[in-house]
Amino acid sequence: MLRESVRTLFDRAGGVGRSRKLRDSGGGWDGEMIRELAEAGVFGVAVPEENGGLGMGLAACGVIAEEVGRVLAPEPVVATVGLSLGLLRRLCPDHDMIGRLIGGDTVLATAWQERGPNGGPAEENCRYADGKLTGNKAWVVGAAEAQGFLVLAKGNTGPVLVMVEAGADGLSVEKLTQADGSTMGELSFAGTPAEEMAGGVAVPDALDEAVNDTAALAAAELVGLSERAFETALEYIKTREQFDKPIGSFQVIQHRAVDLHVTCEVAQAGVREALALMDSESDPKVRARLASRAKARAVTTAKKITRDAIQLHGAVGYTDEFDIGLYLNRALVLSAWLGDDAYHRRLWFDAREGEGAAQ
Amino acid sequence: MTDWNAMGDAEFRKEAREFFETEYPENLRHLPHRPKFAEIEHWHRKLHAKGWVAPAWPAEYGGMGLNAAKLLIFYEEQQRWGVNRGRDMGVQMVGPLIIKFGTQAQKDYWLPRILSCEDIWCQGYSEPGAGSDLANLRTRAELDGDDFVINGQKIWTTMAHDATHIFMLVRTDSDAPKKQQGISFLLAPMDQPGVEVRTITTLSGETEFCEVFFDNARTPRENLVGELNKGWTMAKALLSFERIFIGAPNLAQNALGQLESFARGRGAFDDPAFRDRFAQAALDVEDHAALYARFADQLKRGETLGADVSMLKIWVTECFQRITELMIEAAGPDGGSIGPLQVGNVSVDVLASFYKARPTTIYGGSNEIQRNILSKAVLGLPG
Ligand SMILES: Cc1cc2nc3c(=O)[nH]c(=O)nc-3n(C[C@H](O)[C@H](O)[C@H](O)COP(=O)(O)OP(=O)(O)OC[C@H]3O[C@@H](n4cnc5c(N)ncnc54)[C@H](O)[C@@H]3O)c2cc1C
Repeated sequence: MLRESVRTLFDRAGGVGRSRKLRDSGGGWDGEMIRELAEAGVFGVAVPEENGGLGMGLAACGVIAEEVGRVLAPEPVVATVGLSLGLLRRLCPDHDMIGRLIGGDTVLATAWQERGPNGGPAEENCRYADGKLTGNKAWVVGAAEAQGFLVLAKGNTGPVLVMVEAGADGLSVEKLTQADGSTMGELSFAGTPAEEMAGGVAVPDALDEAVNDTAALAAAELVGLSERAFETALEYIKTREQFDKPIGSFQVIQHRAVDLHVTCEVAQAGVREALALMDSESDPKVRARLASRAKARAVTTAKKITRDAIQLHGAVGYTDEFDIGLYLNRALVLSAWLGDDAYHRRLWFDAREGEGAAQ
Repeated sequence: MTDWNAMGDAEFRKEAREFFETEYPENLRHLPHRPKFAEIEHWHRKLHAKGWVAPAWPAEYGGMGLNAAKLLIFYEEQQRWGVNRGRDMGVQMVGPLIIKFGTQAQKDYWLPRILSCEDIWCQGYSEPGAGSDLANLRTRAELDGDDFVINGQKIWTTMAHDATHIFMLVRTDSDAPKKQQGISFLLAPMDQPGVEVRTITTLSGETEFCEVFFDNARTPRENLVGELNKGWTMAKALLSFERIFIGAPNLAQNALGQLESFARGRGAFDDPAFRDRFAQAALDVEDHAALYARFADQLKRGETLGADVSMLKIWVTECFQRITELMIEAAGPDGGSIGPLQVGNVSVDVLASFYKARPTTIYGGSNEIQRNILSKAVLGLPG
């Protein structure tokens, strides 16, 4: 049901062609599409019913994320469901912002990581005191378009989650262009006015959980992306002729296609299972392991499939005109976001060791 | 004329290093894109003045005449310093062909112009219906008085929008019993009304390659290289030059150097698994260079390269791709970011390297085609 309605919604709007147009007009998303997705119930899927959502859990979100991935939709479905709503529903379930996000009236970007001196992630230092925020945040998805930010900071008595309006005093946003034409923001706050949403140890705990959910949902998005990229390559090798026959008649191409198909099926099964298990699991460590399992698998799969798909296309695959390049580029971005496969295999191993020690 | 081969290796390395370090402009180091000639013209003039444009050409034609060991050193130093290869299709492809098959008049006329970059070349082989199956090409050339008249279309012609000349394969006999027969090798000027060039945008937004349309374009009869209708055999000979060139360690070595400084700066070597992957890539490059030297020596001795040269290209292009994938891994959350990434005082354009590596397994005969060649011509497998 959910899958059909979201797929129809995207297809009617122009599928991957719509995403290409948005990229060509400077990146960003379509506000009208955000509202339509909201009407279809997309953003509230994982929010409990008592807080105004559908209470359907992560597995249901994964179904939607797969559809987002198939058409490379730039709307921040996974970031909204996993991060902004993931934080708010855990930390301040009665805040009216939840309703606004579910209704598609507002989009918030979430900022928690910070860039260290060597360019990589570092210890978080952003400070919040007396209603003002000071410091920097990096790798903020949707920063250019969001109406506001949820920011993790150090308050006087411990960690806090605060909200900052886009365009607030002392806030500057530097945009880094991504391979898919989207941008990530590097934020800097200088005494920027902010509203405290929650405080205490619950904040980092909720963040960990929200990031895990989001990584698992990004995995589902990558699965959808991989499937469509594979289908595109499969259609191509059936029609492109060289040496007087379709290139799909060469055995080496056939075997490659079969391997990609198997890879895709394994990823879909693994990621869907991980999401379902996360829904029935409450131990954060186990949920973290499952999220890493999903993201590691999905990234490996998407990288392999999009790169091989380009190869199967030959030179046309290297052009902007053919859609397959859009899939490669989006896979680069989704793979780097929240950790690639090597990173998540490391986390998975550590989580597993941790569980072993606890038993 | 200096006999570079008579120099000791260390001495030659020092000479090359000093020349690149002092003369090559800082702002052109590790260029993320393919430059137009104007961008590197100044550098090319210096290279030309030193007589270093064509390291592998025999000295009698204005090359450096380097033996394999020296050639490797030359490339290593070039890569280490991030020296752009420039507009080298003339030097790397058409020059060797003219040296091998051209008439004395063709050599006298074209070779100095290649070295000086008075002529800048592009390669017109592929067509929409003739990629891997190159012999399927349809662009025709017919004799009309003292000229060939050319009609048809080429595609994927790298840097055609910044070239003065195109070397091309054309069909000169449509009635030949086999596709491979009736093909000729022609040189043609681009600056004429019958030639139209349209750029094609790549998936990373660059305009590196083009479509080239020929509508009654003309080239003088004396621009036929070799015999009429015998172009296929020559093109295949040229392909072995191309394959040893594409099979050279350059791109992978350069990427490896960038990976190392970037990964070190970002702290990626703290992870033993990453160290292992890096070491594997580094050894893949090193051992490939050893194999490459064998083929380069063969070429130096004047021997024709066999089909086995394909193995260089397979190995090094796939290795190059893995290295750029490691760069992305080391970039962590910046792995999807366009443009140079700063680490300390070095800046590395990770995605530019990644994009550059992707088509290396497609052009110059795809790696699938190279494997087909090796399995039949080298391993003797049936089919
Ligand atoms: C960046 C770039 C620059 C280029 N520059 C030039 C240039 O300057 N001049 C020029 O003339 N050309 C150039 N080319 C074209 C290049 O030579 C062709 O792309 C190449 O020959 C492959 O042809 P194709 O793209 O039509 O792919 P296709 O031949 O359609 O191949 C598609 C896929 O099928 C596979 N395949 C095809 N046949 C077989 C087979 N028998 N067995 C197994 N697998 C097979 C291929 O390996 C590939 O994976 C360039 C290409 C690129 C990508």
